[in-house]
Amino acid sequence: MTFDFLDSFLITGLFSVVMVTGLALLLHLQLGLTRIANFGVVGFWGIGMYVFGVLYVKVDWSFGDPYQFLVCAAIATIASGLAGLLVGWLIADLDTDGVLVVTLGFATAVQLVATAQDDITGGARGMGGLDFPFDIGKVKDNELLWLGFTMAVVAGILFYVWRVHRSPYGRHLIAVGANERLARSLGKSTSRTKLWLFVIASAAMGLLGAMNGVMVRFLDIGNLGIDITLAAMAGLILGGTARVWGAVVGVFLTVGVFDIVIQSYLPLPREWYTQAIPVMREAIFGLTLIIVLLFRPYGILGDMRRDSLMRKIHGR
Amino acid sequence: MDFILQSLVIGLTENAPLVLAAIGFALLYKLTGLINVAYSETITLGAYFGMWLNTTYGLDFYTVLIPAGLLAGVVSLVTYLVLFRPAKRRNVGGLEMIIISFGLSIFLRHALQFVFGYPERFFDVPPPDTIMLFGVGVTSFRLLALASVAVISLLLWLFIQRTSYGLQMRALASDEALAKVSGIRPLAVTMLVWAIAGVAGGMAGAFYGVGTSVSPLLGWRQFLLILMVALVGRNWGLGGVIAVGICTSVALVAMALQFDQALYAQLVLIVIFIVILKVRGSRLAETAKV
Repeated sequence: MTFDFLDSFLITGLFSVVMVTGLALLLHLQLGLTRIANFGVVGFWGIGMYVFGVLYVKVDWSFGDPYQFLVCAAIATIASGLAGLLVGWLIADLDTDGVLVVTLGFATAVQLVATAQDDITGGARGMGGLDFPFDIGKVKDNELLWLGFTMAVVAGILFYVWRVHRSPYGRHLIAVGANERLARSLGKSTSRTKLWLFVIASAAMGLLGAMNGVMVRFLDIGNLGIDITLAAMAGLILGGTARVWGAVVGVFLTVGVFDIVIQSYLPLPREWYTQAIPVMREAIFGLTLIIVLLFRPYGILGDMRRDSLMRKIHGR
Repeated sequence: MDFILQSLVIGLTENAPLVLAAIGFALLYKLTGLINVAYSETITLGAYFGMWLNTTYGLDFYTVLIPAGLLAGVVSLVTYLVLFRPAKRRNVGGLEMIIISFGLSIFLRHALQFVFGYPERFFDVPPPDTIMLFGVGVTSFRLLALASVAVISLLLWLFIQRTSYGLQMRALASDEALAKVSGIRPLAVTMLVWAIAGVAGGMAGAFYGVGTSVSPLLGWRQFLLILMVALVGRNWGLGGVIAVGICTSVALVAMALQFDQALYAQLVLIVIFIVILKVRGSRLAETAKV
């Protein structure tokens, strides 16, 4: 089987869609089920990317790839999980406003540290030296294989989220999101639930960050802006925050349209791609959030199926 | 002693717009219960409007300051009437309201680049003189900015504490139902607050812009500090916001001088504010009155 139709733009676009889908699925657990607006997605993702990058490039490992990649990615995942533990503890007893401040503050803190510690992270200059943990020939072949690995990881996340929806833990998350006080009065430990949720979701975000580092092979603090959080949130809200497939559908319709259809297939003037299209992309993502939440708050896929089942049971 | 004087002088003169912006944000937050993320773009737009009036019509900075603030106030009012008021009527929840304001912030930040262009822009102002204040060199422009911010903040404070409109605002913020039966028209007062907050944010943006440069991220870079100052200071009213804003401005410079790295100063402040919020707790009902 040949993949000649896949050029570099298309592979990058597909990778971007897969990456944001993974983040949107994890955000779905926080925002969709538990109603915690995590504006610091990029912070956890960035920790994963930078911890991986610094360990991979700066540490003189006695073994090579693929073990070097596995060890660095594992440490990056644990580091993001620990950051999730800290942020989860901080927001456990805060309202929506407090959560916004803490998650936004956390993301800003990660960016500040990455910028200030430039002797380690490369700061504004950036840091190169990352590479694929394998070499099967041309760069395009390596990128394609890496895209496959990332798709497998995101498929795993999708399966996990799907399982959570059908588990007591998932119902617990929904209860916390619907009425935290009531859940607590029924003897449920809501703080522990939030803490556990943040640890798992943040660790997975960190793993995705590490995988992104491998694909881009150059770490730049420009990646630590609000863009990735916005893309995940816009996709999730457009698709539907309450449904498992909402993140997948939404990200394909937002990031997919811009990073694949417009980037690879529309015959637009070349100069548009440097500034006009990226700026328009972000503006439309912002507009998407407004329009969907005003006119179709549950997104394209609508409310949870569980609710329609309950309506049938209760004859309403 | 020199260090304290340096921190005080530089902190107050460099970060004076932070206090003004925080007052506007706190006003809006007190009345509506909404964290309006798009307030950062009100600040940015103030800078862009000021720069546009300054460079297009050749007006000096102090002539464009009030029109820039007024234009930002109009934008703020329009966002309320076109977006947040209809959202409230549709019973959009508090969490969704924050995300809507986040979406608006992103939209405005990028859309304005199609109007004003992509590159960083600058005010066309003459180079300022340097004046020695307690042994610290300060540009005449920054000193004037500090004085202007102090006067505007005082006027705002007097307006809210001493006028009947201010009383109506405070009444509406305390208890909307009671304010209504007392004959207060919520729409008029709410519109007034959105406009005043916009004017304060726009003027702060113009001060930020003339001090450095005008770029789409201008307001967003200041937003977290403004948000934290407003949230931490709100318990002691508008005076508290002003006091926390001043302390933050001075602490930022003191730490920047101490660490020799402004980024660490911001980092330490973020940590301090988060710890305060954590210790104090921030459990409020999601009001989203807007």
